[in-house]
Amino acid sequence: MKVNHVVAYYRAGPGPEVKAVDDVSLSIREGEVLGIAGESGCGKSTLAAVIALTAQPPLYIKGGSLELDGQRIDLTKPVKPTSDWHGKMVALLPQRALNSLNPTARVRDFVVHVMRSHDPTIKRDEAIAQARHRLEQLSLPPRALDSYPHQLSGGMRQRVVAVLSTILDPKVLIADEPTSALDVSSQKQLVILLKMLLDHGFITRIAFITHDIPMLSNVANRIAVMYAGKLVEIGDTTQIVESPQHPYTQALISSTLDPEPDVRRRRLEGIRGAPPDLRYPPPGCRFHPRCPYAQDICTREEPPIVGTEDYFAACWWVADKAKGRKGGLS
Amino acid sequence: MTTMTQTRGRRYSSPGVLGGMGRAFLLAAYSPRFLFALTVFLLILSFGFLGPIILGRHDALMTVGGLYDKPSSTAWLGTDNFGRDVFTQLMYGIRTSLIIGFIAGSIATTLGLLIGTTAGFVGGTVENVLMAITNVVITIPSIVILILLSIAISTRSIVVMGMIIGITSWPWTARAVRAQASSLRTREHVDIARLSGAGTLSLIFSEIVPFMLSYVVMAFVLQLSSGILQEAALSMLGLGPSGNVSLGIMLQWALLWESVRTGAWWAFLPPALLLTLIAFSLLLLQSSIDEIFNPRLRRS
Amino acid sequence: MTKFQRYLLNKLAWFLVAFATALVMNFLLIRLIPGNPVDAIIGQMAAGGTATGEALQKMYKAYMAEFGLDQPMWKQFLVYLSNLSRGYLGASFRQYPTPVLQLIQQALPWTIALQLPAILVGWTIGNSLGVLVAYKKGLLDKAVFPVSLFISTMPFYCLSIILVYLFAVNWRIFPASGGYSFAMAPGWNWAFIQSALKHYALPFLSLVLVFIGGQAVGMRAMSIYELDADYVRFSRSLGVADNYIVRYIFRNGMLPQVTGLALSIGGMVSGALITEIVFSYPGIGFLLFGAIRNQDYPVVQGITLIIMIAVLTANFLVEVAYGIIDPRIRAATAGER
Ligand code: SF4
Repeated sequence: MKVNHVVAYYRAGPGPEVKAVDDVSLSIREGEVLGIAGESGCGKSTLAAVIALTAQPPLYIKGGSLELDGQRIDLTKPVKPTSDWHGKMVALLPQRALNSLNPTARVRDFVVHVMRSHDPTIKRDEAIAQARHRLEQLSLPPRALDSYPHQLSGGMRQRVVAVLSTILDPKVLIADEPTSALDVSSQKQLVILLKMLLDHGFITRIAFITHDIPMLSNVANRIAVMYAGKLVEIGDTTQIVESPQHPYTQALISSTLDPEPDVRRRRLEGIRGAPPDLRYPPPGCRFHPRCPYAQDICTREEPPIVGTEDYFAACWWVADKAKGRKGGLS
Repeated sequence: MTTMTQTRGRRYSSPGVLGGMGRAFLLAAYSPRFLFALTVFLLILSFGFLGPIILGRHDALMTVGGLYDKPSSTAWLGTDNFGRDVFTQLMYGIRTSLIIGFIAGSIATTLGLLIGTTAGFVGGTVENVLMAITNVVITIPSIVILILLSIAISTRSIVVMGMIIGITSWPWTARAVRAQASSLRTREHVDIARLSGAGTLSLIFSEIVPFMLSYVVMAFVLQLSSGILQEAALSMLGLGPSGNVSLGIMLQWALLWESVRTGAWWAFLPPALLLTLIAFSLLLLQSSIDEIFNPRLRRS
Repeated sequence: MTKFQRYLLNKLAWFLVAFATALVMNFLLIRLIPGNPVDAIIGQMAAGGTATGEALQKMYKAYMAEFGLDQPMWKQFLVYLSNLSRGYLGASFRQYPTPVLQLIQQALPWTIALQLPAILVGWTIGNSLGVLVAYKKGLLDKAVFPVSLFISTMPFYCLSIILVYLFAVNWRIFPASGGYSFAMAPGWNWAFIQSALKHYALPFLSLVLVFIGGQAVGMRAMSIYELDADYVRFSRSLGVADNYIVRYIFRNGMLPQVTGLALSIGGMVSGALITEIVFSYPGIGFLLFGAIRNQDYPVVQGITLIIMIAVLTANFLVEVAYGIIDPRIRAATAGER
């Protein structure tokens, strides 16, 4: 799956638009869990909404396209609600699973509605039976289907939502901070469930969006780091965690991987300044006001991409280092 | 969502309140509905308060003609059942209705705010007791209490009418304010103020009330409108302010003296339309304020 | 005890507390009238020459005895309660000795026949309209919303007056006043029913229109709120068809509207009372109007009591219904209230 040049802005009230996602491209390979990390407000959830095709005003998509299994859609055009892109190609595992189920319908009714929307000929009993079977395969209690959402515990509700969002076997599952409201043991169970979904082949790719880097280091094959609406670095999980290239990634990793919460907080403040107001993003590299390695050129020109499409960092400093190394060799 | 919470948190941090209000005013200037509603209401207001002065009409109860004279160059909207000028009465009627509405609205909003914030902010038993009272009062139809009170007080001045209506209509506001206050109670800036040793009362006034300002304004606008309508209802039942003209009293006279059935439209149509217009402009005002502060309701 | 039973019990307790408060208010407020209401009214009647001296004497004695007005408050209250428990609301001053209850019994069916259908029809149409408008957006919303808003802010009686003027006076399509033609005696014959229906049309229309407007405005707001809910976004992300989503929104938006119904019944009743006055419709409102003008306090007090009981009961029933239709409440505890 390829995501090409996504540009998405919020328009709210008078004043300039909030440039929440600005020209982001990435790809998710078959069988892969791609982590998308960053602080809150970096645009990762916006990106999730865009690629899960759930963007709504005041979020407007200015550009970008999606390629998946030889099919391609223009993201700036609305996708028909019942087209197979929704639910069958991409599916969303939302942030607040607690509220993601209609509170006044039993889970099984929702299953029926989802399946019927894509295949009006399917019988009610068949749909429920399929869902029951799916839950059993994933070692979840099938009686969850007969409950109202509020009768399920928080963790169970999130797992049920995960099963529901993958019930049509989508090619990609976009998991938007799926663990943020859960306790630690429910988080683990959800991660196990997601892996099971991959192993059973119900889904083939996951985009796992979170600010929780320790969690990502456990589940993701690759990690993409976003800052202020831009993709700043992408690479293998081990590379990102152990030898981050981009100055922002370095700061982020060192601040989040420290076991002591106190130290963590201090480190995060260690990156001086705050993320920029995305109505007025800084010119050149958006990280330059906070970057310890900022040079003149960073304030003027967009940083170059150093590396290949799937493993890179976008930074002048990294570019210089790479050149230096090359120069040293020759 | 994380993004939104963050910006909201920033806007609510103490120095940002005024900034937030400023932004709200800016938005208001962009909201045609708000401007329209405000203009209509201000026009009605000045018609009632400045009209009699500008036009030199000093007595609403003066007889100028016969029973239901048609509109003419002297009596622009004709005369009523006692031969009094409808146009003049209309101005005074608006004035009376608005004053009663203002008094009722102020009392109801103040009471509601006091009870609501106290309940929501103090919590515990106080909250339970206050809300129990509120919930009981809310279910007893206020018109009944109004009728009984108005009967008991045989001479009802404008002020008394306003007070009677005010003290029967606070529960709505109290209930809504309580919900707001108890959600505010857990906000960070309140904690900080509490930790720095502020007392409950000063906390309520410095940290809670300012953040509910938009809410209180909306509540007042609604109370004002309902106060005016309650007055009209009471007047039509024959329990209006004694010795005064109000929009409701004009309607009562018009009905009693069969103006509708005799086709004297000038006697009932203007007060009926004005009551509607006042209620409409106030509701529009409230809903546009709501949209300014709750962008969720804004529709593209 | 199941949670639902606890919910019911809780609501019942609230109902009883409110009921007791209403009784006390009804007892106390009328006694705030300066002096002795019986003295006052009888003095006035004597001065106006509306009743003979002997009749006045009899009334005075009867009233003093029935309500123990010369006794201390608490005794009066006990007398009041025991009278009530026997279903006795006193006798009218003006139409002595017609019992108040009898007057109310004559008027009540008219009021119920007018208000109940108006509320039900208005609620159903208004809510459907509200969801539709919120979901379709665009032109429909732009046209329907301001109109509904305007109509819903219009006081019931203002619309009534305008309707009477247009339909009864100007165009003479419907009669202007009364519940039936004065030339007829009430009875279950076709001519009478026809006449009653003709007289019914305008008051009904004026109540129903305002009510539709109010419900539509409220439901539209609820639906907009629901449209933004996480479950709608999730359903959409899975490609759930629109008609299912509209159904979710309708159901979930309707639930608060049910409680709204409970709470607005009070307001509606008062609006409807005055509508009756406009139409001289022979219901409770018209009776009340006459009683207030004639200072017929027992009738006023009887009517206010009936209204309170009716509103409280309606409230209670709606709350119970709410508990039954909302699975969250059906299963969860009594919740916030
Ligand atoms: S481009 Fe310049 S400012 Fe941006 S991260 Fe690299 S060194 Fe720092």
